[in-house]
Amino acid sequence: MSGRETVLAAIRQGLGRGPLGDAARRALDERQGATDSAPLLPKLPKGPLQQVFRAGLEKVSGTMSEVTKLDEVPGAVAGYLSGHGLAPEAAVAPSLESLDWSGAGIQASFGPTRGGDYAGVSLAWRGVAENGSLVLLSGPENPTSLNFLPDHHIVVLHGKDLVPHLEPVWVALRERGEQGWPRTVNVITGPSRTADIELTIQLGAHGPRSLHVLLVD
Amino acid sequence: MESLSHAFKERSVHALKDETLQVALHRAKDGFAVKRAKAVEGLPEFDALRDRAVAIKNHTLENLDHYLERYADAVERSGGKVHWASSAEDARRIVVEICRAAGAKMITKGKSMVGEEVGVNGALEGAGFEVVETDLGEYIIQLAHEPPSHIIVPAVHKTRGQIADLFHENHQKYGLTRKLSEVPEMVNEARQVLRSKYLDADVGITGANFLIAESGTSVIVTNEGNGDLTCSLPRVHIVTAGIEKVVPTAEDATTLLRLLARSATGQDLTTYTTFSTGPKRADDTDGPEEYHVVLVDSGRSTMLADQFREMLRCIRCGACMNHCPVYGAIGGHAYGWVYPGPMGSVLTPLSVGLKEAGNLPNACTLNGHCAEVCPVRIPLPDLLRTLRHREYQLKLGLKPLRWGLAAWVWFTSHPRIYRLGTRVQARMLATLAGRKGRFTRMPLAGGWFKGGRDLPAPQGETFMAVWARRQKERGQ
Repeated sequence: MSGRETVLAAIRQGLGRGPLGDAARRALDERQGATDSAPLLPKLPKGPLQQVFRAGLEKVSGTMSEVTKLDEVPGAVAGYLSGHGLAPEAAVAPSLESLDWSGAGIQASFGPTRGGDYAGVSLAWRGVAENGSLVLLSGPENPTSLNFLPDHHIVVLHGKDLVPHLEPVWVALRERGEQGWPRTVNVITGPSRTADIELTIQLGAHGPRSLHVLLVD
Repeated sequence: MESLSHAFKERSVHALKDETLQVALHRAKDGFAVKRAKAVEGLPEFDALRDRAVAIKNHTLENLDHYLERYADAVERSGGKVHWASSAEDARRIVVEICRAAGAKMITKGKSMVGEEVGVNGALEGAGFEVVETDLGEYIIQLAHEPPSHIIVPAVHKTRGQIADLFHENHQKYGLTRKLSEVPEMVNEARQVLRSKYLDADVGITGANFLIAESGTSVIVTNEGNGDLTCSLPRVHIVTAGIEKVVPTAEDATTLLRLLARSATGQDLTTYTTFSTGPKRADDTDGPEEYHVVLVDSGRSTMLADQFREMLRCIRCGACMNHCPVYGAIGGHAYGWVYPGPMGSVLTPLSVGLKEAGNLPNACTLNGHCAEVCPVRIPLPDLLRTLRHREYQLKLGLKPLRWGLAAWVWFTSHPRIYRLGTRVQARMLATLAGRKGRFTRMPLAGGWFKGGRDLPAPQGETFMAVWARRQKERGQ
């Protein structure tokens, strides 16, 4: 018997029944989740989604600034870098390659990073108001390494991509159809932190020391 | 991991006398309980979500074979490989084989309790691989050659002074010359050293907080980002997960996520919640080339058969130990195996046997606090009581305790003799105690009085006698 069959047989023995029939299995697949009901969504504080998102982000030590057009992003990034005393260099996601980075005085490299970059710039697929979370999908246009290796992570988020909870993200992901799930969906809520030494919270454990959102709206 | 649970009593006494440990435990206890309470207060739907979570877990466990098959098929469709391990030994062998086939030298690890349970590190080191834990807490205890003392904060028993010493001893080869004293510089020191390990590793091993059946996705939560660097930089990613981790959909996992961080650390959501599905795609520019999942049974399927199925709802948040007075007094190491506290006192005897770990279910005051805070409403005190019953039925407990219990049963089932006996005893003890009304010493019970404690004496009348007298007075 294969490992799979051995484990499944042990489970069925524990459950005190044989394998489920095709009809029973189909019925399980047709359920809307385990409870076969709409998810229970926590009520959000009153106010526009942007405001709720910002409150959630700031609660976890993230920061945010707003621009009105995507074209303004390189300039805003340049402002962030000089404000933090950093050189005007950044590893940028190819999804943002068409912007005028050199015009803003930034020396940008496009693609994944191996850790030599102080700042990484990515594009979020969704923003989740509930906890001020960013949802990033991996792919050639958005390498995952940009989210974790640079000290400063700057994330571009379109206002239209803000959703109240995580649940609409899953619905949208299923609607991608053929493409299905990317290798990684990163839900990021604030900069890296640890409390492993004497329960003292310290930012920048292994991932970025700071997380900045550029909201385009 | 090898069990030391048989030595629970000696280890508890040792822990109570360890002053450094007591300082660390005291700090942890208040911190966690207060943070959790605040987070729960901020989510009015918390209790309704707990009911949902129980329903999600119960339904999935009832149909566990179906959801695991659906999960495994989805993993294979996304280009990953699923390995099924009936035992801890199987799991160790599978992980070693994958690392050998990958031609690995260095392996980084994200925190994984099932990894600790089956003893992945020992097996890999035995096979000649270099293994580096990357969660800061796990890294610290790896340097100290100790097992975790808490399932969320593995090094909670260490003070910053001890950690500074460990870095001083072990990091000189990386160029550290002075002894560090502040938390930020220690975190930074670990960050710098581990950076190069992430980049050099051939294989990254993580656990899974949830497995999503519909998409074949494994979910990990970390605050540090170490899990992500572990699963995205090396060539091979291995996920080790217990079979009970599967849930049908991403929405089901989301409901559980709302409970997990709040119960564990008092956060609304952990910093990094990462959903991994298969290896890197054809056009991806980063990510692992191979993605393996090792599904571990190791006794879990047996738990499906009786009331211990409820224990399989556990999402490993650690709230039960954070609110347990026994854990708070002795810490995690005294329990002698991977899982400490109330959940560990249920799991350990089921895993290593009641003969080895019979003391654990008895080291409980049954105050019920663990069940009150459990996000998936596991009736931990009931399960512990069942284990005590089993221990008694298997005649495993201490003989004097068995005799005492047998005598007690005889007395309580003979009410007349019981009443007479207690009346005589109460009067006798009251007379012996004299005017002080308390005992300061007693033969055979010397331990009770250590630390200046007295034992209050009965006042001369039994409860039954007082009750009968009052009823009579009221009737007149």
